[in-house]
Amino acid sequence: MNQYVTISVDGMSIDVPKGLSVLDAALGHGICIPHLCRVPYISDIGACRLCIVEHVKNGRSKITTSCTLIAKEGMVILSNTEKIIKLRRNIAELLVTEAPNSRAVQDVAMRCGVKEVRYSFRNSDCILCGRCVRSCTGLFGEKAIGFVGRGKDRRVESPFEIKSQLCNECGRCIDLCPMTVVPCDGPMMPGEERLCGNCESKMSFAEEIPGFCIACDLGEGFQCERRLFLGP
Amino acid sequence: MAKIHAISDLEELREKIVDDRKQFEKTIILCGGTGCKASRAQAVIDAIENELAEQGMEKRVLMRTTGCHGFCEQGSLMVIEPGNIFYCHVLPEDIHEIITKTIREGEVVERLLYTDPVSGKVIQTEAEIPFYKAQDRYLLAQNRQIDPCSIEDYIAIGGYSSIGKTLSDISQKSVIREIENSGLRGRGGGGFPTGRKWAECREAPGDEKYVICNADEGDPGAYMDRCLLEGNPHLVLEGMMIGAWAIGAQQGYVYVRNEYPLAVKHIRVAVQQARELGLLGNNILGSSFSFDVSIARGGGAFVCGESTALMASLEGKVGEPRPKDVHTVLEGLWNKPTTLNNVETWANVPSIIQNGASWFGFKGVKGSKGTKILALTGHVKNTGLVEVEMGTPIKTVVFDIGGGAANGKPIKAVQTGGPSGGCLPADKFYLPVDFDSLAEAGSMVGSGGMVVMDESTCMVDVAKYFLKFLQDESCGKCVPCRLGIDRMLEIVTKISEGRGVSEEISLLEELGATVTQTALCGLGKTAANPVLSTLTYFRDEYEKHINEKKCPAGVCHELITYMIDSEKCTYCGLCKKACPHDAITGEKKDIHAIVLDQCRKCGICRSECKFDAIQVN
Repeated sequence: MNQYVTISVDGMSIDVPKGLSVLDAALGHGICIPHLCRVPYISDIGACRLCIVEHVKNGRSKITTSCTLIAKEGMVILSNTEKIIKLRRNIAELLVTEAPNSRAVQDVAMRCGVKEVRYSFRNSDCILCGRCVRSCTGLFGEKAIGFVGRGKDRRVESPFEIKSQLCNECGRCIDLCPMTVVPCDGPMMPGEERLCGNCESKMSFAEEIPGFCIACDLGEGFQCERRLFLGP
Repeated sequence: MAKIHAISDLEELREKIVDDRKQFEKTIILCGGTGCKASRAQAVIDAIENELAEQGMEKRVLMRTTGCHGFCEQGSLMVIEPGNIFYCHVLPEDIHEIITKTIREGEVVERLLYTDPVSGKVIQTEAEIPFYKAQDRYLLAQNRQIDPCSIEDYIAIGGYSSIGKTLSDISQKSVIREIENSGLRGRGGGGFPTGRKWAECREAPGDEKYVICNADEGDPGAYMDRCLLEGNPHLVLEGMMIGAWAIGAQQGYVYVRNEYPLAVKHIRVAVQQARELGLLGNNILGSSFSFDVSIARGGGAFVCGESTALMASLEGKVGEPRPKDVHTVLEGLWNKPTTLNNVETWANVPSIIQNGASWFGFKGVKGSKGTKILALTGHVKNTGLVEVEMGTPIKTVVFDIGGGAANGKPIKAVQTGGPSGGCLPADKFYLPVDFDSLAEAGSMVGSGGMVVMDESTCMVDVAKYFLKFLQDESCGKCVPCRLGIDRMLEIVTKISEGRGVSEEISLLEELGATVTQTALCGLGKTAANPVLSTLTYFRDEYEKHINEKKCPAGVCHELITYMIDSEKCTYCGLCKKACPHDAITGEKKDIHAIVLDQCRKCGICRSECKFDAIQVN
C-alpha cells in the first residue's frame, strides 16, 4: 500500500506518494516547474538549477532544487514567486547564451521568460546536464561515459578518451541529449546566434495562469516529464 | 612503550616523562614548520645536533623541533628556555656561536635578536615582541611546547587527559551539552554551531557513524589548519576521539591534502603512536569505547573542502558536492550519519572539556566564542599566523599585530575569508573579527585568511584574481557556478581591459546575486562574494575603469602607460639595461624615454629605478 504525504505547492494542497520528489509531485498535478537535467527514473543531481523553488520552513524560505527535494509531510513550496522567476530567468539566460543551437535550451529559456540576453553567445556543443552520463551509469549500470575534468574543462568523455567496450550502442544517451534537436529554423552559424523566440505566442496565454502546465510543446526537445504523464 | 589500559597508567606515564625531562638544563626550541623549513630550518636542526654532540652537551640540552610558531617571515625561529630568548633568521652558520655563547655562558647574541620594524627597538624575549604580545595564543602556543612527532611531549603537557576525563566522568550527552554551552562554532568557514551538529548526529538513527577531520585547506594565502596538523596532530586526534565518543562513532577519517606532506607525515606518525599506546583501538583506557582513525589524502581539488564533495572523494567517487536537502549528520559518508569538522574546530574540543564551557565562553563576543587563528599576509610589516580572541577589531590585527603598512603606502583594504570572503575597506577596520559582524558587512571569517592590501592594489584586479581561482576550482557540476563565474570573469576582465560599459556593473550585481542564491554547494554560494564586496565598497574603482578608462592603482595593464619623469631622472641608464623589451631609449647622461609601442608594461624598469622617476599613469 502506498503511503501518501500532503504538501502545499503555490498554495495548492496536493497528496503525493512518499519518497517522490517535489518536482515529480508538482508535474504530476499539472504544476509546471521548468526543468532540464531531470531524467525520469534516474536519480537527480540538481545540476541545471532551473527547477529551483522556495522551500518555506519556520517562516524562512530557502531556495533549493525541487528535483532533489523529497516531499515530506506538511512541506510548503513556492514555485512561482517573483524572486524565483527572476533567478530562473537568469540561469536560463546563462544556458541559452552557452548553447543557442539547442531547441530544448531555447524552449526552456522561452518558458523561463528570457526576452533578451546580456552576454555574448558561445555556441557550445554540450551544456553538461549529465543526462547521458546518468542514463549510462544509472539506468543501465554501464560506465561507458562519464565526466572528465573540472570547471570549465569539464566534459563528457569515454574512459581514456577511447570508445569504451562497455558501450553497447543502445543510443539512449543520444535520445536524452538536449543538444540533438536544433531550433526550428535550422542551426545558427557562428555570429548569427540569437534567441529564437518562435514560440513566444504559445506562451502568451500561459501568462494568465503562471505555473500551470498548458501542455505546451516547449518541453519536446528535452522530453519534459509532464508530456510523459499526458501521453503523446 | 607499553600499552595504556587505564587512566592511572596515563597519569603515571605523564609523571615519568616529566621526571625524565628534569635532567635537561636548557631547551632549544626550533621551529620546524613548513615556513621555517623554507628558510633552511632543516640545516639548522642538523647543525644544532652536530654542535651539541661535538660539545658533549646532548645530555644537558634538550633540542625540540616543533611545529609552526606563527612568525614565519622571520624564520628560522629559535627560542631558548629558560630565558625566553628569541632569535630570528637563524642560519646554520650561527649555531656554533649560539651554543657557545648563549647555551654555555648565558650570553645573548645581539645580532640575531629581533628588531621591531615599527619602533626600531631590539627585543630580547619572545614575550615582548609586539607581534606576539597583542595576540591571545591558546592553540598556537601549544605548538612551541611539543615535538609533533613525539606523543610523550604531548602527554607531558597534559595531553590525552581530556579524553581520559571524558571516558571516566562525563556522559555522552553531557559532552555534547558542554560543547553546545561553550558556543563553539565551526572554524572551516560555515560557522555552524558544533554542539548542535554533534547532537543531531548523535540522535540520527543508525549504529554506524563516522567522524571526519577536514584538513583539505585550499584558500590562497591561508595555512592555519596546516600548522595545527603539522604542529600538534595529537590535539586534533584527541578532539576527534572526544567527538566520536559523544556521537557514538567507531571510525574517524582525517582528509588531508597531499600538498601538505609534513602534515600527512605528522598525522600518520601521531595515529601510529596513539595506536601503539592503546589510545586508539579497542577499549580505549579500559573503557567500552573503541575508535580508530584512518588518513586519506586529497588530490588537491579546492571543491573537496566542501563536506559532501569530501565525503564523495573519501568513498572513492569523483569529488563533487551533492545537494544537502538531507544533511550529512543524517546521511553522510556511505550514507551513514557523519560529523565533519575542520581541524581547528577539533583542536578546540579537548580544552573545552578540560577547562569547561564557561572558560571557553568567557573569551570572544556574543555569537562567536573562543579564539581564531588567522593567516595574516599581504602589505603589512609582520606576516604570519596570528591567533586572536574572537571579536578583536580588524585594526588591532592589521596595525598592532601586523605592524601597519609595509611599504609606506596607506592600507586600503583587507580581504578576509579567502575566495569565499570579501574585501573590507579601511574605514570598516573597526569591525570585530567574528562570524556575524563580518558576514553582515559582506565578507566572512571563513577559514581565517586575511590579506592586507595597500594603495598599490587594484580592487578590480583582486576580484579578477579570485574569479580566476574560482573558475579553475569550480567542479562544474551546476550551472550558476560554472557559467555564472565564467561570465563574471568575462565581464570583470572586460572592465579591467577598459572595454567595460556602465550597465555591466548592475549586471555583475544581478549575476552575483543569482550565483549566491542558486548554486549547489556552499562554495558556489559564496563564490560571488569577492565581486559583490568590491562592488559595494570600491565601486568608484570599477567606475573609473569603465568611464575614465583608468586604473587608479596602476595595475591593469591595458589602462596604464609608463613614463619617465625627466625632472627626477638622473640618466643613469639602469632602467634601460633592465628593460627586457628594449623599450627605453637614450644614452647614459642623456634624456631617457619609453617607446610606448615596445613597452609591455612589465614594471621592471620601475622597480629598478632608484629615483622614483618612472611613473605610471
